[in-house]
Order: sequence, then structure tokens, then C-alpha cells
Amino acid sequence: MVVFLDTLLNGLTLGAFYALVTLGLALIFGVARLINFAHGDFFMVGGYVLYLAIDGDAVPYWLAIVLVTVAVGVLGVVFERLVVHAIVERPWWVHLVATLATSIILSNTALLVFRSDARQVPTSLSTTIVEVVGTRTSVQRLVVLAAVVVVFLWLRWFLGHTWTGRAMRAISQNRETCAVVGVDVRRVVVITFGISAGLAGLAAALLSPLYSVSPGMGRVITLKALAAVVMGGLGQVTGAFSAAFLIGLVESFYGAYVPQGFTYRDAASFALLLAVLMVRPHGLFGRRVGL
Amino acid sequence: MSTVLPRRGTILGVALLAVSAALPLWLSSPYALSVMVLTGMFLVFALSYDLSVGHVGTVHLAPAAFFGLGAYVTALVGVPAGLPFWANMVLSAAAMAVAAVIVGVPSFRLSNVTFAIGTLAFATVAQQVVNSAVDITRGPLCVQGIPRPALGSLEVTTPAGYYYLLLPFVVGAVVVYRMMTAGRLGRTFAAVHQDEVLAAAAGIRPLQYKMLAFVVGAAMAGALGSFQAHYLSVICPTELATDYTITLLIIVFVGGAGSLPGLVVGSVVFTVLPELMRGLGAIDVTPAHQLILFGLILLVVITRWPDGLQQLWARRRPPIPEDQALPDGPVLPDGTPTADPAAVDPPAAEAHR
Repeated sequence: MVVFLDTLLNGLTLGAFYALVTLGLALIFGVARLINFAHGDFFMVGGYVLYLAIDGDAVPYWLAIVLVTVAVGVLGVVFERLVVHAIVERPWWVHLVATLATSIILSNTALLVFRSDARQVPTSLSTTIVEVVGTRTSVQRLVVLAAVVVVFLWLRWFLGHTWTGRAMRAISQNRETCAVVGVDVRRVVVITFGISAGLAGLAAALLSPLYSVSPGMGRVITLKALAAVVMGGLGQVTGAFSAAFLIGLVESFYGAYVPQGFTYRDAASFALLLAVLMVRPHGLFGRRVGL
Repeated sequence: MSTVLPRRGTILGVALLAVSAALPLWLSSPYALSVMVLTGMFLVFALSYDLSVGHVGTVHLAPAAFFGLGAYVTALVGVPAGLPFWANMVLSAAAMAVAAVIVGVPSFRLSNVTFAIGTLAFATVAQQVVNSAVDITRGPLCVQGIPRPALGSLEVTTPAGYYYLLLPFVVGAVVVYRMMTAGRLGRTFAAVHQDEVLAAAAGIRPLQYKMLAFVVGAAMAGALGSFQAHYLSVICPTELATDYTITLLIIVFVGGAGSLPGLVVGSVVFTVLPELMRGLGAIDVTPAHQLILFGLILLVVITRWPDGLQQLWARRRPPIPEDQALPDGPVLPDGTPTADPAAVDPPAAEAHR
């Protein structure tokens, strides 16, 4: 029973991790019709910013969270201005190659600066253990779970009740019409990239203390988030959110209950993706989309 | 042959082949020969990749996986079974063709984007499995002692020997590439590439042709992996690394997707360039430096010249004469242009797209 609860909690944390990254990816896909293969590297950059911020207790952890979120959000805006801006009207394969090239540049720059060894970034929260419903866990995990719920509710409110959020949804439905009725599409796209990368930064600030930071981590994270976006049905924020938790839980239970499963847990989640594509090509919650 | 290769291209190709065959007379150092072998291998690799990317327009991200798995098939199945060199290449090619079908069927279901994601997932999993399944692949300890290729009693041992062993393979790859991309099949690929919906309306099944390009490309990459296994005699999980995929992306997209001369130039430039960088010696050039440089070049080229640098030197096609050109505006059903969009039947305008 303790193993089951541990595995469940672990799976939910992983799910929260993937969900935070996936939300940003789904947001960008919706507004810019672009799949960002550098999204996991935003997370990786956030992890290193956190490492620099709290290494030697330079700043308190709560301030570091704000700092990392803002820094990665700014990186997202710069990325939009320098790269996406030039290619957003081009076909999908230009998006793929350009964002993949960005991912290569970011991950290898991190490799040069920080070397290949994984860095641990423990915080006082991740080292404090409490007892919850019969199992022991770090406070950090509980913070992560609370944060993902808050972020999800905030995002729903933002998309439904603010002018910018509504503009984002409108652009995802019809870009041209939005431009015609006076929506500043460029500005909304820039804001989307800022929010999306900021979410990846927030994820990094909250989750790096539980796992570790290494230069090559971005690609697997991108893939997990992409798998969630595809499984949830391209462009569906809630679907992608649910699929992220599904992937986290599958990985956690596969790793705990299948012999040698821990080694092959990434393979399990991608097998899940391929299986979903076989049975429901438009995703678990998807409708047909034009791409 | 004239139906397969354009005349000028044939002459140029034969001349290039003659120069390549004579090259070891001048560049006979083992180092120069190893760079030349690497160039030839990247050309074959780029040709196999470009079948999908340049001709049917499906960018997949698993070429390194097919290459590496092909090498492992040779090292773990072919060699223990005592198969000769050429049979190993056939075996690896066949195995990777089957793998491509298994990956391709689910990944192709939705769109080109999920195809890219599905193949990237496959490549990542393949590398992790090869790295982790220590009982079978020995993991990071690598598979060693793969025998040198032998043709009858003649064993290939020298760098020049490997170069001449590779040369017919390069020629074969070019011929397969031309056969698939010229003529009727090539035009079908082009139709699928330019407009899938329109191609389907003309009775072409886009999925079949996408699969064909993907599977043949995978088989070529698998055979090349088998060559690599015999060439290095040691195979490690790094043979599946994304570094290869990145080099291929840069050769294809900077050289020019779908352009044979572009691929040849790209393969030469991006194999020799890292060697020149290493030769500078001023700073310690690591693979990370090289990948950052490649990433920057790729990013600049793809954002500015998405058709590759070949468009800078490619001869401009003569413009279509005015009376044959399609008018820009709406067209009436009889083909005459009109200024009034309402005069056009809406479904017809939709289909025209």
C-alpha cells in the first residue's frame, strides 16, 4: 500500500511536471500554429538559472522562483522576436528545423558552460519530509501539486476572462479575421511566447530541486510534452493537461511495478503515444485540426 | 540511362566519379582517406534522408536510429551468424525497412507533424534501449571485434581499400536516388510534396508514396550502418546519437532539399568543415562547439533561405509565358479571369486553393 501511494504521488508529481511544460507548448501551438521543439530547453535554461540563483544562498528560494520565471519568460520573448517572427508564416517544416536548431544551440551552449554532469539544486522545501496519508514525502512535491492546480485555474481564467486571453483564443481560431477586426496579432503572439516560456521557467524553478539539471534534459522533456499535446488532441489545452498526467502516472506505475521498468519508463510513455495514435489518431480528446 | 539522368547531369556525374576514383592517387594519407570515406558515407546518408525530406516533404527525425540499429543488426545478428559483408548489408537494410513500416504506420496517421514527433520518439527510445539493454548490446561498453569485410579471399584492410569498397555503394545510392526521384515516380513524389489533397484527387495515394520514400530511405541508412560496423569494427550506442540527424538536417537544408548537386556540395562542405576547424587548433574544438556552429548556420539559412543555398546559384527557370500563366484573381469556370469573386462558384474556388 505504501508502494502504491508512493507511486501514485510520484506519478502525480511527474504529471504536474509534464503538465506545466505542456500547457506552454499547447498555448504556442494554438496561437502560432507552431510546434516548438526548443520548449524543453527553456525548462533546462530555467534549471540552470535556478542553480545560479540559489547556489550559495544568493537569494531566497521564493525570490528565485520569481526570478527564474521572469528570466525564462524574457528568453521566450527574445526567441519570438529573433527566430519565430521570421518564420511563423512559413510551412511547418521550417518551424521544425528552426526550433530544433534553437534547441541544439541552447543545449550545447549549456554543455559548454556547465559541463555534462547533472547538478543537484536542493532547497529547504525539497529536504523537508512530512507524513501525508500514510506515506512520507517532501514538502516540495506538495508545493508542485498545489502550484499546478493554481496555474491551470489561472490559465483558464486568463483565457476566458481577459482581453488578451480571449484574443489568444480568437487568433487560434482565425488569425486573419482577428487582424481585420483590429487585434494586434503580433503583440498577442509575443505575449503568448512570454507566458509559455514563463510557465516552463516556473516548472523548472519548482521541479529542478526534485530531479536534477543537465544540459541534455531538454529533448526528452520536449518529447514528453509533445506526446501529451498530440495525445490530448493538438491545440486542446485541457486535453493536453490531462494527457500530461496520464503520461506521468503510466511512467511511474510502469517504473515501479514492471521488472526493469524503471530503465525503460521513457519507452513506455512513447509506446503509449504510438498506441494512442493507432487507436485514436486525433488524440484522446481531439477533433480534426487543419495541420 | 538517359531517361533516368539528364544528359548534362550524367556527364557531370561520370566526371565526378572518375575524379573521386582517382583522388587517392593524390590524397593518399590515411587521414585524408578517412575524411573522404566519411564524406562518401554522409552523401549516402543524406541521399537516404532526402528521399523523404526533399521529395515527399515528410521531415522525419529518425535517420540516426536506422543507421545505428542497422549497425547493431550486423554486429549482433549477422556477424555471429557468420554472414559475409554484403549479406550483412542486405540483412540490415531489410531489418530497417521492416522497422520503418512499424514506426511509419502509426506515426503517419495524423499529419506530417505527428510523423516528425513519432519518429523522434522512436529515435530517442531506440537509443535508450540500446544503451540500457546491457545483456544484449553490452550498452556503453560497445560491441567489439566485428570482422573486416572480405570479398572472397580478399580482405579489406587499408583505408584506400575501404574507400574503394564504399565507392560502388555511393554510386548505387545515387542511382537509386535518381531512379526514385526522376521520371514518373519522381513526378508522383513531387505531386504529393506540393499538394497532398490535389494529388489524392488525381488518384495518387499520398500515404503509399510517403511510406515508400521513408522505407527505402531507412533501408539505405541501415545498409550504411552495416558498412559502418565493418569499417569501425566497434559499434557503440553513440551511433544512434542525434548528432548524425543534426548533421543530416544541415546537409539537406543548407545544401538544398531535393537537389542532388546541393546534397553533394553539402556533404563535402559539412564533413570537411569540422576537420578544418579542428585543424585551426587555436581553441579546443569540442563536438559542442561544432554543434553550436551547425545550429547557428542552420538557423540563419532556414530563416532566410528555406530552400537551401542552392537557390542562390541554381539557374532561374524561365518565367511562364503570360498567356499560359494562371491569373492571380478569381477565375470563371471557363477559365477567364474576373474581378468579381461572387461570379465564381464557391466550391470551385475552394478546390482551386
